[in-house]
Amino acid sequence: MTYVGLSSPTCGPGRTRESGLVRNCYPSTLLMSPLAHHFAELLHDLQQLERAALPSHGALIFDAFNKHTPFDVGAVYVRDARGSEMRLAAKSNQCVAPEILDDAEAELPLDPAPRHVIPMRTARDHFGVVTLAGDTASDEDLQMLNAAGSYAASLISNHRLSLEMREGDFQLKYRLWELESLYDIGLSIAGTLNIDALADEILFRMISLINARRAALFLRDGDKFRVYRSFGDTRSDFLDDEITDRVVAAGEALTFEDASECIFPGCIATVAVPIKGNNAVIGVLAAGDRETREGDVGAFEANELRLLSLFANQVAIALENARLHKEALEKQAMQRELDLAATIQSDILPKSIPVVEGIELAALSKPAKQVGGDYHAFFQREGTLTAIVADVSGKSMPAALLVSAFHAAVQLLFAEGRELGDIATELNRHIHSWSAENKFITMIIATIDPEAETIQFINAGHNPCYVITGDRIEQLRSHGLPIGILGSSKYMTQTRPFPAGSTVVLYSDGICEAENAAGDEWGNEAFEELLARHANSSASAVRDAIAEAVDTFVADAPQKDDETLVVARTATA
Amino acid sequence: MTEELKVAVDRKGNGAVLYTKGYINNVGGEEIANRAYELMDADVRTLLLNLRETKIVNSIGISILIEIIEKMIDKGGTIAFCCLTPVIHKTFQIMGLANYARIFDNEEAAMSELGL
Repeated sequence: MTYVGLSSPTCGPGRTRESGLVRNCYPSTLLMSPLAHHFAELLHDLQQLERAALPSHGALIFDAFNKHTPFDVGAVYVRDARGSEMRLAAKSNQCVAPEILDDAEAELPLDPAPRHVIPMRTARDHFGVVTLAGDTASDEDLQMLNAAGSYAASLISNHRLSLEMREGDFQLKYRLWELESLYDIGLSIAGTLNIDALADEILFRMISLINARRAALFLRDGDKFRVYRSFGDTRSDFLDDEITDRVVAAGEALTFEDASECIFPGCIATVAVPIKGNNAVIGVLAAGDRETREGDVGAFEANELRLLSLFANQVAIALENARLHKEALEKQAMQRELDLAATIQSDILPKSIPVVEGIELAALSKPAKQVGGDYHAFFQREGTLTAIVADVSGKSMPAALLVSAFHAAVQLLFAEGRELGDIATELNRHIHSWSAENKFITMIIATIDPEAETIQFINAGHNPCYVITGDRIEQLRSHGLPIGILGSSKYMTQTRPFPAGSTVVLYSDGICEAENAAGDEWGNEAFEELLARHANSSASAVRDAIAEAVDTFVADAPQKDDETLVVARTATA
Repeated sequence: MTEELKVAVDRKGNGAVLYTKGYINNVGGEEIANRAYELMDADVRTLLLNLRETKIVNSIGISILIEIIEKMIDKGGTIAFCCLTPVIHKTFQIMGLANYARIFDNEEAAMSELGL
C-alpha cells in the first residue's frame, strides 16, 4: 500500500488515489494544513452524533470516515450498551461483514480484510470500531484516525450519558408521580362516594399507574365476582372460578401468562389482585398487557405488582366508604318514607276524643314502630257513639298502607249511614278485593246507645272485648272471620244490654299480649282482674290503670306490638 | 370505554388544534406524534392539543408527548395543551411537561393566547 493521505473535497468529486498526502490540492489561502483541514472536517461531521438518534450513529460515523478519508470500503461496529457485543451498524456496499464482531479475534472476518481498525474508546468504555480497508496509512494519518475514533467515542459517551440522565430524570419524576398518584387515589377515591364514578376513577388510575392496556373491576356477586366496569372487553362477565380461587387464596397480586387464564381476550399477560374488605374479598382488580417503552406488550413486573397491591388496599377503603354511604342514603330515604307514613297515619287517627252527652270516652294509641297496624275511630249518629278498633296483619309500612285503605273505606261507609253488619260486610268485600292475599284485618265495632241502654257490635276475628256492668264482666267475642279473609263473608250485628253506668273496653292484642323481658304475656286474666278492680272507675281512670299496669309489667322490655285502647262508660242514671 | 385513541385535526392558519379522544398510551401517543409530525412538516409551528375527551395517559404516552414538544421546540414552534382533567393536569406538572408547554383551562383562552 502506497497511499496514506487523506482525501480533500477541494480536489473535485473523485477521490485522490495518488501516493502521498494531498496537501497540494488545498488553496494556499488557508492557514490550516490540508491534513488538519480534513481532520477538522471529519470531526465536524462526527459532531452530528450529539444530536442524532442512537440507531443512526453507525451510519453517521461511516459517512464521516468515508467522506474525509481515502478509505471508502469498510464497516462500523457499535456496542449498544456496556459489555454487550459489537453489532454491525454501517458498511460500504463492497464490504462483506458479519453482523456480530468478536473483538477478541486476531483476524477480523471481513472481506476485504481491514487494513486499519480504529477503536472508538474512552477511558471507561469501548463503544466499537471503524474498520477500513485499502492502503496503509502513515503513522501521522493513523494518529489522526485514532484521534477521530476517540472523538467519536467521546461524543457517543456524552450522548448516551445525556440520554441516561434524561431517562433517570424521567424515571425519578415517574416514581414521584406514582407516589403522588397513590396519595391522590387515597384522597380522591375515598372522597368519591358515587360507586359508578368511583369505578371509573379506579380503572383510570390503575391503567395509568401500571401502563396497562386493559383493565376491569370485578365486584362480589354471591360466590362469584362479576364485571362492574371494564376498559376493553373481558372474556366473560364473571371472573374464572380457578383464577378467583387462586387470587383469593393468595391474598395478593398474581400474574397469569397462560393464554387459557387470560381475563381479557387475546391478552399476553394478566395481573389480578384481590380487594380485601373487613371480613372478605369484596372484589378483584385485573389488568392486561403491560406496555413497554419499545412499543411491545409484556408481563407485569414485581414493582408493578407491589404497586397494584397498595392500590387495591386504597380501593378497598374507598369501596367500603361508598357502600356505607349508599346504605346511609337508602336508610335516609326509608326514614323519610316512614316519616311521611307516620304523618299520614297520625292524620288518620282521631286528633281528639269526641264529646258525647251521657258517654265518657278515653283512648290510647301507642304504635310499636314509627308507623303501625292498629286503627281506631269514633262516629256519632243520633245520640249514639260508635267506636272501632282494628288491627291490620303485619307491621310497619305495608300495614300502614292497608290501614290507610281501611280508613278511607270506613269513613265512606259510615257517612252513608249504614248499619254495622252492612258496614262490616262491605268492608270485608272491599278489603278482600283490593289487598294482598295474606293481608287481613281483625276488627271490633261497637255502637253505644245511652238512651236505649244497648250496645251493638261486630267482632270480626278480634280479641274478645269487655263490657263491665256492676261487678259483672262480659266478653264481646268474635263471631266472624277477620275482614279480608273470605270475600263472601257476611256479618250480623250483635246486640247486648248496656245499662247506665256500664263500661265497654275495646283493645288491640298489643295490650293483652304485651311481653316482659322474660317473654311472658300480661294476659287476659290480669286484664280482667284489673277491670274487676276498676268496675266503678271513670273511663279515663280505667284507661290509665290499664296503661300503667301494662307498662309496669313490660318494664324495660321493648314494645312488641302496637297498643290501642278505647274505654267508654255511660253515665249512671 | 374505548381503548383506541382517535385524533381529529383542525387547521387554523399556521397552527392547528389536535383533538384527542381515548387513552394516550404507546399506540395513542404514536398516533398523536404522527399527526403532529405531519403538521410540523407542513410548517405548522403552533399546535394546541385539546385533551377534553382523554381521561387516561400513561408514562409511555407522556414520554411520547415530551418527544413531540422537544421536536417542536427544535423547530422554533410552540405546543400547548388545554381542557385537561385534574388528574392529567397534575401528571403533566409532575412529569415536567408544564415546563415546556403551556397549559390552558379551556380552548378559547388557548386560541386567544396562541393567536390561532
